Amino acid sequence: MIRMFLRHVTKDISAYCHGELSSDESKQFAEHLIACGKCRTKFEEVKLGIKLAEQLPRLSAPDRLWSELEPLLEQRTTKAVRPAGFWTWQSKVAAAAVLLLVASLGAFWIYKNRPSNGVQKPSWLVKRVDGVTRIGKEQISNNGRLAIGDWLETDRGSRAQIDVATIGNVDIEENSRVRLLQTRADEHRLELVRGKMSARIWAPPRLFFVDTPSAVAADYGCAYTLEVKDDGGSLLHVTAGWVQMESKDRESMVPAGASCETRPGVGPGTAYFDDASPDFRAALTKVDFEHDPAVRSAALTSVLDQARPRDTLTLWYLFRGSEGKDRERLYDKLATFVPPPPGVTREGLLQSDEKMMSQWAALLEPPWTGSGGEKTSRKLKEMAPK
Amino acid sequence: MVMAEQLIDGRVIEACQQGDRDAFQLLFETYKDKVFSIAVYSSDGDRALADDITQQIFLKLFTAIRQFRGDSEFTTWLYRLVVNACLDERRRRRRLLPWGEMVAMKKAGERKPQEKHYARLEISEAVQAAIAELKPKFRLPILLKYIEGLSYDEIASVMGCSKGTVASRLNRGHSQLAKRLSHLNNPEVWGD
Repeated sequence: MIRMFLRHVTKDISAYCHGELSSDESKQFAEHLIACGKCRTKFEEVKLGIKLAEQLPRLSAPDRLWSELEPLLEQRTTKAVRPAGFWTWQSKVAAAAVLLLVASLGAFWIYKNRPSNGVQKPSWLVKRVDGVTRIGKEQISNNGRLAIGDWLETDRGSRAQIDVATIGNVDIEENSRVRLLQTRADEHRLELVRGKMSARIWAPPRLFFVDTPSAVAADYGCAYTLEVKDDGGSLLHVTAGWVQMESKDRESMVPAGASCETRPGVGPGTAYFDDASPDFRAALTKVDFEHDPAVRSAALTSVLDQARPRDTLTLWYLFRGSEGKDRERLYDKLATFVPPPPGVTREGLLQSDEKMMSQWAALLEPPWTGSGGEKTSRKLKEMAPK
Repeated sequence: MVMAEQLIDGRVIEACQQGDRDAFQLLFETYKDKVFSIAVYSSDGDRALADDITQQIFLKLFTAIRQFRGDSEFTTWLYRLVVNACLDERRRRRRLLPWGEMVAMKKAGERKPQEKHYARLEISEAVQAAIAELKPKFRLPILLKYIEGLSYDEIASVMGCSKGTVASRLNRGHSQLAKRLSHLNNPEVWGD
């Protein structure tokens, strides 16, 4: 891990983009990329090269080629010894039938994929990985196309991979159901209503979105897994970069190494690092989703008691959304880990002074992302209350 | 096309090895576009030359298929034959064509893209011209990846090199494409 982090990853960029690295290698690659400006620059260059290479069309051989080839083959056939009986007239009829079948299937495919009103429906490439994958009611053999409005379903033991236009790809795990809602230059949007997916996106922030029953995951250039449970709640786990979970009333920024739970009718909870203790996480769930103020207050006490310096991520976002006594308690705990810089006052922070919030956030964030602080800081400034 | 390729099973190949023309026509119909595409991109977009190369490849395949023993996938074996034929043709042309003419041919294919608003077709043409200028060792993995849809392992098998070498050559090929066509790194150009 440390070796990979230190080693530049420029040689692996194409393999990463083509999904040729193992999941561990991909994760390490993405983590290095977040932290290394040099590799990010090269990544952008190779990404453009891939985008360009994808424009190479497959060409059609001229129809006359076979008729020109046939006489030349004839000359060679006469020299060849053909054993009698293997390729019988029945087999020739079968071959002709096969050719006819290929032609018919081709015609059917062209008919099915014909442009409607002269406009080709945008779609993404789907590759079947294991088991049975369906687009709509049709089972795909190896590859298929997912058009806007189409549902893709995997059953038990089956998996599929989707190319998200040219900006990334998504692995769909077993027993999952997703729909393509939109794909255009400024927005690519999937809906995940059941199951689990892993996304790897190499695009500017907020180009790729996944709608779930309880929140929307907005990509900030990252890799993550997202699972929707039977009750409509979801669990996000980020492996590189940042993801924002958002609903009508709530939003939560989640960095690499952290997770976020969402609940239907409520929205996202607060992000927490995966290495936080089970008690800390259980208390946080109560703070985020419990209705009884007394229970929430007791749970907040437990969160504060168990918080480590790295948990300032959780405390900071709780602080931003809190008020009254809870806000003061959260400030006091945060300040023991990272005191506000000179000129930033307790009163100013309790009153959500925008400038002071940004200054403190810049000091708080380094432990959350290792050396990838610059991007985080910028994001935190964007997120500061207005 | 995937379904058509699935029709090329051991029975069809065995029939081809016996010299059966109907079976060979099935093989030809299945792979002709892929072979032709590689031939075009390997001959600087010269379609007449690509016609000849494609014809020569299938002519050679007609007899060479008897040597196919099933030690590897048939497609891997076929693409190896295609790649070698394209490389041989390039070497032959280098011997026959003076250096100045080779350069002149490439120049003729160049454009001044910054003066134009690119449609998708024009981007595609610019990419084809840039691909033609890559060295074969960088160009062929790109063609096998994007035209044939092969995995890194399959490309390695076709080219007789390691998977790491394929990754490295694709990386360098992508970088060179990006550098040559950096003026296309603009959302307006892509009509986005």
